[in-house]
Amino acid sequence: MLPAPFQLARPTELAEAIRLAAATEDSHFHAGGTELLMAMKLRLLRPELLVDLKRIAGLDRIAWAEDASVVIGALATHRQVEQDVIVRRHLPALAALCANVANVRVRSAGTLGGNLCFAEPHADPPTLLAALGARLRLVGPDGEREVAADAFILGEFETAREPAEIMTHITVPVPRGPVAYRRFRHGERPAVNAAVAWTMAADGVTIERARIVVGALGSRPQDVGLLERLLAGRRAGEAAEAVAQGLTDAVGEIEAMDDRHGGADYKRHLAGVLITRNIAEAAAQINGATP
Amino acid sequence: MIRFDSLSEARPDSIDKVTGRAVYATDLDIPGMLHGHVVRSTAVHARIRALDVGAARAAPGVVDVLCGADVASLGCWGLVLKDRPILALDKVRYVGEPIAVVIADSAEAAENAAELVEVDYAALPRVPDSKAALAPGAALVHESHSPLEDFYFRGGARPIDGTNVFHRFLSEVGDVAAAEAAAAHVHEDHFSFPPVFHYALEPHTAIADFREDGLTIWSGAQSPAGVQKVVSRLFGLPLAKVRIVVPYVGGGFGGKASVKIEPLVAAASWKVRRPVRIAQSLSDSMLTCRRLGARITIRTAVDREGLILAKSADIVLDGGAYADTGSAVATKAANRIIGPYVIPNLRLEARAVYTNTVPGAAFRSIGGPQAVWAAECHMDNVAAAIGLSPVEFRLRNLAARGQRIRPDLRPLDMDMGELMGLVRQAMGAASAATGPDARGLALAASDPGIVAIGNALVRLKIDGSVLVAMASVEIGQGVHATMARIAAETLNQPFGSVTVLPTDTGTAPFDWGTGASRSTVIVGASVEAAALDAATQMLDLAAEALAQDRTALALVPGGIATPQGFRSFHEVFHLAYGVDSGEVIGRGALNPRSRGGALREAPLFWETAAGMAEIDVDEDTGAIRLRRYASAADVGRVINRVSAEGQDEGASVQGLGHTLFEALEFEDGQPVNASPVDYNIPTLDDVPDDFHTILVEHHDGPGPGGAKGMGEGAILPIAPAIANALFARYGVRVNDLPLTPEKVWRALRARS
Repeated sequence: MLPAPFQLARPTELAEAIRLAAATEDSHFHAGGTELLMAMKLRLLRPELLVDLKRIAGLDRIAWAEDASVVIGALATHRQVEQDVIVRRHLPALAALCANVANVRVRSAGTLGGNLCFAEPHADPPTLLAALGARLRLVGPDGEREVAADAFILGEFETAREPAEIMTHITVPVPRGPVAYRRFRHGERPAVNAAVAWTMAADGVTIERARIVVGALGSRPQDVGLLERLLAGRRAGEAAEAVAQGLTDAVGEIEAMDDRHGGADYKRHLAGVLITRNIAEAAAQINGATP
Repeated sequence: MIRFDSLSEARPDSIDKVTGRAVYATDLDIPGMLHGHVVRSTAVHARIRALDVGAARAAPGVVDVLCGADVASLGCWGLVLKDRPILALDKVRYVGEPIAVVIADSAEAAENAAELVEVDYAALPRVPDSKAALAPGAALVHESHSPLEDFYFRGGARPIDGTNVFHRFLSEVGDVAAAEAAAAHVHEDHFSFPPVFHYALEPHTAIADFREDGLTIWSGAQSPAGVQKVVSRLFGLPLAKVRIVVPYVGGGFGGKASVKIEPLVAAASWKVRRPVRIAQSLSDSMLTCRRLGARITIRTAVDREGLILAKSADIVLDGGAYADTGSAVATKAANRIIGPYVIPNLRLEARAVYTNTVPGAAFRSIGGPQAVWAAECHMDNVAAAIGLSPVEFRLRNLAARGQRIRPDLRPLDMDMGELMGLVRQAMGAASAATGPDARGLALAASDPGIVAIGNALVRLKIDGSVLVAMASVEIGQGVHATMARIAAETLNQPFGSVTVLPTDTGTAPFDWGTGASRSTVIVGASVEAAALDAATQMLDLAAEALAQDRTALALVPGGIATPQGFRSFHEVFHLAYGVDSGEVIGRGALNPRSRGGALREAPLFWETAAGMAEIDVDEDTGAIRLRRYASAADVGRVINRVSAEGQDEGASVQGLGHTLFEALEFEDGQPVNASPVDYNIPTLDDVPDDFHTILVEHHDGPGPGGAKGMGEGAILPIAPAIANALFARYGVRVNDLPLTPEKVWRALRARS
C-alpha cells in the first residue's frame, strides 16, 4: 500500500507549477491528496511527477467580492470553508455541506478545488456548487478562463480542465433566495444528493428562477430541468404541490447507475425524496422570512 | 462517568496506548531485518502454468523471492485439515492467495518489485459460493481431504470424499418427523448471513527470525501455542526451539486466532536466513480471512399451546478456499441455533463447504451470529403465525436454570427469563416518537470456553512485587489487567505491585489461546491457583522462619501479619535463607482432570445474551436508525467493570455492523469491496445515545470469584432484535443481512 515511485515538485509560484506540469507527460497536481494519494497507494494512478500546490501563497484564501459573491481559493480545505465567517454568513448551505464531508481528518486535508478536479461522482460539493451557479477559474499555459460549475464535470473522473491547468478559485454568487442541500449515504460517500436554489423576485414570494440539481447517482451532476421550469414564476407556497405533480416524470429522466450504492430505480426514487424535502425546506425559509 | 482515584487502578495497557508508547508487531525493528511483500493471486480458481520471478529478483533492493517450489517439500498445514500450502504451488484457489513473497531491504523495494512477478494462469471452473459448492458435478476446490484428529480442538473435521464439504455435523434428538406430524403448526424459514470482515484496526503483521538454534516469531497472534505447534511441525523444529512473542495486538476478534500468515513469514526467513517482516495492509487482511457466510433453513413445530415440539435446522457455511477452523464454526452454529429453549426433538445439520473465496475463520462467537440471526427472527415469525407475542412465545418455551437444551450439553447455568426481564425493564416505556411497535427482542445461549487447559506462574518477590507469566494475549480486552487483579486479590497485594509479563511462549506456560471467551475462566483460574500456591509457599516459609503457627499468619501488603506484628517479605526471606534474597514461584494449572473432572462437560459455562432494540425507519429511504438498545448478559462476576462493559458494548456495536452495513462481497468469486474505502463499519454516530449494558452477577461461574467468560455474547442478539423491530412495526421480514436501506425500502414497497 505504498505508491509507486514518483517525483515531487513543490513550487511557490503558480506559473512555475503550470510550467512543471506542462513539461511532464504524466503529471498530477497535488492539493489535499485525500483522493489522489489513496489512488496512488492502490497503484490505480502512477504519476511520474506530483506538483504540490500547497506552497503557492493565496490559493486557499476566502474573500468577499464586490459583485456580491464569495471567492473561495481552490486549495481551501473543507474545514476552512466550513469555519469561514464569510461562507457561514452568505453560503450557510455550503458551510454545512463542508462540515459533513467524510470525517474530520479528510476535511482538514481535502480541498474544495481538489474535490471538483478529481470528479469522483459520489461527492457532495459539485451538486451544490452547480445549483449555486458557481464559476471556476482555471489558469493554464494558454492563459485564464472561467468555466461554469455545472459544465465543469464531464463524467466519472473527467472534467473540462486541461492537464496543465490549475483551478485557482471558485466564485459563488450570493444566492437571492433559499438554498437547500441534502444527501443520502449508507457508508462514507453520498449515494444520491440534491440541491435546490431559488432566485426570488422582488416581492419575496415568487420564484423567479429555480435551480434543482441532483448528483452522485449518475456520472455527473444533472439539472432537473422539468422541475426547474415548473417552478419558475410560481409562488413559494405552491412549490411543493407543483413538484409533487412533476416529480415522477422528472426523476424518470435522471441518468442513474446500478452500482454498490444502490439500484438505479432506488436512486431515482431517493432523488425524488431529497428534492421533495429540499423544496419543503426552501418553502419554509420563505415562510419563515415573510412576516 | 468512570473515575479513577489513582492511575494505579487503571489498566496498564491503556496508559501505554493513550501515550503512544504501546508497541505492536509493526513497531518492532529486529537487527538485520528484511521486508517481505506478498504477491497475491488475481485468479479465482486456476492452474499456475508458469511463474516468472526473474525480473523481481533482479530489481533494486531485492534479496530473494520465495516461491511455492521453494516450500513444496515442507508440505501442507492446517488446524483441522491439512489443506493449506505455505504458498500456492500448482493452483490457486482464491483471489488474494499468496503465490510468492518478494524479500527486499525495504518495504518499498519489495512492493515495487512485486509488480514485476509474472504469473500465467489457466482458469479452472469456479466455485463462487456455497450453492455452487453443493451443486451436482461441482468443481472441487480440493481434490482430496486430509483431516487431523484432536490436533487443535477435540475431535476434528468430518469431510465428505469427492465433494466440497469439508465438515458435516449432525445432531439428532428424539424424532422430529413424528413430532412435526403431530404438531398444530409447522413453520419454515430461510435466512442468509454474509461473509463479514473482522476489521481489526491492526492488520496481520509478523516478523520471523529463523536461525540455526531455532525460530522466533513476533506476531499479533491470538493463539501463540497454535502458531508454535504448526510451525514446529512444518519446519521439523522442537517446540522448545520455537518462540512466539506477542506484543500488544490491535484487535483480533478471531481474525488472528489459530494460524494466519506466520508460516509464510517463517518460510521467508527460512529462505534468506535473516529476520523478515511482513506488514499487511488492511486490504491485504481483507483477503486473508473473514467470517463464514451462511444459508440456513430452519423449521419449528409447535402444539396448540405454543410449546415447541421440534426444531430442525439445515446450515450451510461458506468456508472459503481453506478450512482453517471452519469445521468448529459449523458445529457451533448447529449448537447455537437451539437457543435457550426446551425442545424435545431436534435435528441439526451443519455443513462447511469450500468455495473459491477468501478463507473463512473464527470470528467472535463462532457460528453464533449466523445461527442466532436465523433462530431469533424465526421465533418471531412462529410467534406471529400462531398469534402469540414474541415475549409470551419465548416465556412459554424458555429452559430454566439447570435444564439441558440438548442432552450432550451442560445444563444451563443462568436464568434467561431474568435477562429478558432486565432488557425489557431497561427499555422502559416506549418513546413517543417511535411507539411501542418498533421494538424487537432476541435471546441467545452459546457454548464457549473450549479446551480447558490453562497454566500460569506467579512469582512473589522479596519486596512484595509480583510477576505473572501466562499466555493470554492482551488484545484490547484488558486481560492482562484482569490477571493482575486476580493475582493481587489472591495474594492480598496492591494491584500496582503486579506486573504481567508480555506474552512470550519462552516465558509463559502453555495455554491454548485467547478466544472462545475462555481467558478469564481458564487462565484466570490458573493464575488464581498459582497465586494461592505462592501464598501457601510464602506462609509455610514464614511459619518455619518465624517459628509461628501457620494458621496465625496472613498475607498483607508487603509482608505478613503475625501475632507479633508486621514482618516484611524481606525479613522472612532473610531469616529463612540467611540472606535478603529469593522468591517463591507459584504454579497453577487447570485441565479436564481438575476439580474431580467437573470441567470436562461442555460447555464450561453458558454465554448468554438478551438484546432489545428500538428503531426508527425512514420509510421514504428505508434507512434504519437504532434509537435505543439494551443488552444483558450473565457473566457470573465482573472483575473490571470498565473493561467488561466495554467488551459487551463493543460486541453489540460490532453486531450492529453486520446488521446494517457489512458484507464482504464477491461477484463470481472476485472480491468487490475488499478495501477500507468500500467496506463500511459503524461509527460512533451510529451508536444509540440510549444504550444499556446490564451485567448480571451471581458469582456462580467456574472462574475466579464465580466469573464466567464474556465478550462474545452481545454480538448475537442485535441483528435479529433489529429485524424483529422492523417486523413488529411494519410486518416486513428481510431474510438476508445486512438490512441496507435499499432492501428495507424494497420490502416496504412490496408490502404496499
